[in-house]
Amino acid sequence: MKKVLQITVNGVERTILVEPWYSLLDTLRDELHLTGTKKGCDEGDCGACTVLLNGQPVTSCLVLAHSAHDAEVTTVEGLASGGDLHPVQRSFAENGGLQCGYCTPGLIMATVGLLNENPDPTEEEVKFGLGGNLCRCTGYSKVIEAVMVAVESTRLENSGETE
Amino acid sequence: MAEFNVLGKNHVRVDAFDKVTGHATYAGDVYLPEMLMCRVLTSPRSHARIVSIDTSEAEALPGVRAVITGKDFPDVYFGSGALRDRRVMARDEVFYVGEPVAAVAADDEITAVEALSLIRVEYEDLDRIVDPVASLTGSSTTVHPDLEDFEGYAFALGGNNCTMLDADRGEVDAAFAEADHIIEETYHTQPINQGFLEPMACVANVEANGRLTVWASTQGPYQVRQQLASVLDMSIGNIKIIAMELGGGFGAKLRLALEAFPALLSMKTNRPVKLVNTREETFTLNGPRLETNIYLKTAVTGDGMITAREARSIFDVGAYLGAGPNSGVGHGLGAYDIPNFRLRSYGVYTNKVYVGSYRASGVADMTFAVESHMDVIAHRIGLDPLEFRRRNALKEGDVSVSGARIPRHGLAEVMDALQEKMAQPGNGADADSDNGRMARGVGIAVGEWRSGSGPSTASISVNEDGTVGLLTGSVDISGSDTSLAQIAAEVLGLELEQVIVAKRDTDLAPFTGPSGGSRIVYSQGKAVEMAAGDARDKLMALAADRLGVQPEALECEGGTVYVMDNPPQSIGLGQLARMSLSSRGGPIVGTASLSSMPYNPVFNAQGAEVLVDRETGQVKVTRFVQAQDVGLAVNPMGVEGQLEGGAVQGIGRALSEEILIDRETGQVRNASLATYLMPLAIDMPEIENVLVEVPSEDGPFGLRAVAEPPGFGPPAAIANAIYDAVGVRIRTLPLSPERVLAAMQGHEPEDYGLDADALRAAEA
Repeated sequence: MKKVLQITVNGVERTILVEPWYSLLDTLRDELHLTGTKKGCDEGDCGACTVLLNGQPVTSCLVLAHSAHDAEVTTVEGLASGGDLHPVQRSFAENGGLQCGYCTPGLIMATVGLLNENPDPTEEEVKFGLGGNLCRCTGYSKVIEAVMVAVESTRLENSGETE
Repeated sequence: MAEFNVLGKNHVRVDAFDKVTGHATYAGDVYLPEMLMCRVLTSPRSHARIVSIDTSEAEALPGVRAVITGKDFPDVYFGSGALRDRRVMARDEVFYVGEPVAAVAADDEITAVEALSLIRVEYEDLDRIVDPVASLTGSSTTVHPDLEDFEGYAFALGGNNCTMLDADRGEVDAAFAEADHIIEETYHTQPINQGFLEPMACVANVEANGRLTVWASTQGPYQVRQQLASVLDMSIGNIKIIAMELGGGFGAKLRLALEAFPALLSMKTNRPVKLVNTREETFTLNGPRLETNIYLKTAVTGDGMITAREARSIFDVGAYLGAGPNSGVGHGLGAYDIPNFRLRSYGVYTNKVYVGSYRASGVADMTFAVESHMDVIAHRIGLDPLEFRRRNALKEGDVSVSGARIPRHGLAEVMDALQEKMAQPGNGADADSDNGRMARGVGIAVGEWRSGSGPSTASISVNEDGTVGLLTGSVDISGSDTSLAQIAAEVLGLELEQVIVAKRDTDLAPFTGPSGGSRIVYSQGKAVEMAAGDARDKLMALAADRLGVQPEALECEGGTVYVMDNPPQSIGLGQLARMSLSSRGGPIVGTASLSSMPYNPVFNAQGAEVLVDRETGQVKVTRFVQAQDVGLAVNPMGVEGQLEGGAVQGIGRALSEEILIDRETGQVRNASLATYLMPLAIDMPEIENVLVEVPSEDGPFGLRAVAEPPGFGPPAAIANAIYDAVGVRIRTLPLSPERVLAAMQGHEPEDYGLDADALRAAEA
């Protein structure tokens, strides 16, 4: 039987009825129609469903919706603010860090999660940080490049220098 | 080289912002009111007669709206090509574990899954055959005893050999008799999955007027439409396919997949029905690639000239001929001019999931064999592997296997570029790690493909603000929409942003070939170039009329048409478009249509540096370099992305990817991304690309195909590098640690039983 779930998604508090066995991923997609978060395997292997749960990247297919009760969830739809893309989104777009785009929301959320923890990672740390995300089109080179450009631009921004 | 305004420069993809914000809509993202969920029941048996199917319990389950079995479909066979050997859903017999036998539409997915468990199917097991080599030459068990009655069956050996391709030239036996060296080898490649991240998905809805709309995840909307019409016995005109954003296909989504199930269920329920494959089903339901066994025999003169080749390639096609074994013939020679050859390629049925296409089906398998073989020969006769390839390389004016004249190409240039790049120090490799335990080696491979052809159409309409709308039926894969928009912008003298690429469906856009085989920029791009040229001519004619000059005196650039001798005398495209609304010719629309394009080859050369762990057999690629002749790098950032992605797929094929098949039942044993090992970012070296630009004779602006070749060379380049490092030759993919270690310890390699004499005898 459906139970009440209170959850804040992309800054909006929601109260919805959700089956107890529903995953956070299915809740986002089927109930809230936030389809930017993708289902690639439903087994936690591909990373396409990565969202931030209280700031931490998680594979939302492996999180029961009700275990996210009272939590804050950020999906790819919640990253841009007021029409301005998040620096990671912008960098993926500008540096060829995507092709078919299906793994892209997950990669972007995993990157944002990684940078929350470690704002100035080395390339090797980025590769490990994205170790839970599969991409079949890009071969990863341009993805890693896009992350490093985003890191660099954020560093410049934070240090007050101009690009 | 000509200066371009838009071509040859880096551009952000036209769909990039939709994709980074999560707004791009894939088939699985379609939610319609009253939509039902479909799930498919599959066969647990390898080969069995269906005695009975009882769906009554499933139908009685609350929330279940309809259940279908094979008998609910029209009694027709269809096929991926000419041979019609397959039903859309099993009817009286199942031929592999995983074959669809029933489908359910229910209010939600969990109810549909529960309903599947209530369907009772009684089977009676039949003899099965799993080994393709035995299936071809040594088995009395036949997968389809009525093969020769199937519509479209052409010449083959019969039995389980559903198709055989051949090509012959010259005096093969005489050349072997006179040869200084004869090298004879057998290679084996593994079953492999395309690995697209978006599982197959579709939503089908029958409208009140009986028309069927399908929101599909497909590379070939017109092909799906045609096949769907065939299996549902509907007219093509009653079907509309909406090609949604495609989350990767690599050939797997070229043809009808499972769209017929929700379509029929929608007809039965009068509600929209959605089907999304599970990841497991992407391994077991839809055509992956199965194993190949490749025999090569080559005659060589003392000074390193190849005089003859015999190649016999056995392609396991599984239960149905989902994709043909053409590459066994077309790519049996590699990138070389060989005057005498005898090429045979056999498609063989087994009781396994049927094969589909994957990034130039079979060419990566053939390239592994042929390019490893080239290395073996070079070492045998004491020539540098690159020099040996150069001596035998195809030149302009040579004749291809299929008899086409080889036009201008960049094969010599890509080999030069690879050599030059490999001679420079790389970023990742560190030569110092070659020590007692780790052995360092270098290997190369050359790949060949052709720019894809096939029917192509495009239309361009000029808007009243001077922007243009581009309409083609091609599904975007790997940035092709952006490339096509660039071509239109270049012809019309516009910025890329002024070209709007329409989202299309089969009602809206005219027929076009599928997005596959590296055909979009070459063939579809040609249609776009011609359509833009047509629009340009009409703009010029209108402007000439208004400006009182001849059209030849005009130039179209920077959003205006102006008089070349007096540029201030000009009219903007927007103004021309507005004027056209009341002109004699009416609104300006440029169109183009073509059926095929001339043969144009594409070549690449790839090099790998590896470290082999002498204690474990583990192989790490420390450097990967590739040079490809792309004609003109339409959007260099996008071209590099394609090359990198292809190379990494090839490295996965070389080292870790393998569908494990049960030798008794033919069942897929690792239908999961946890056990089917695709490369991750941490596994990959930095890929170094050299974009060689030898313009093609026929492509728009000299463009050539890009997408397929980068996946061909990695297995051979890495196998050749392993040989260079530790002196063992691995002829079976993947190049796993177990295999490399066993070879280093002197164990006999696996024998897959290919007997060339038996094949020769079968032919006689």
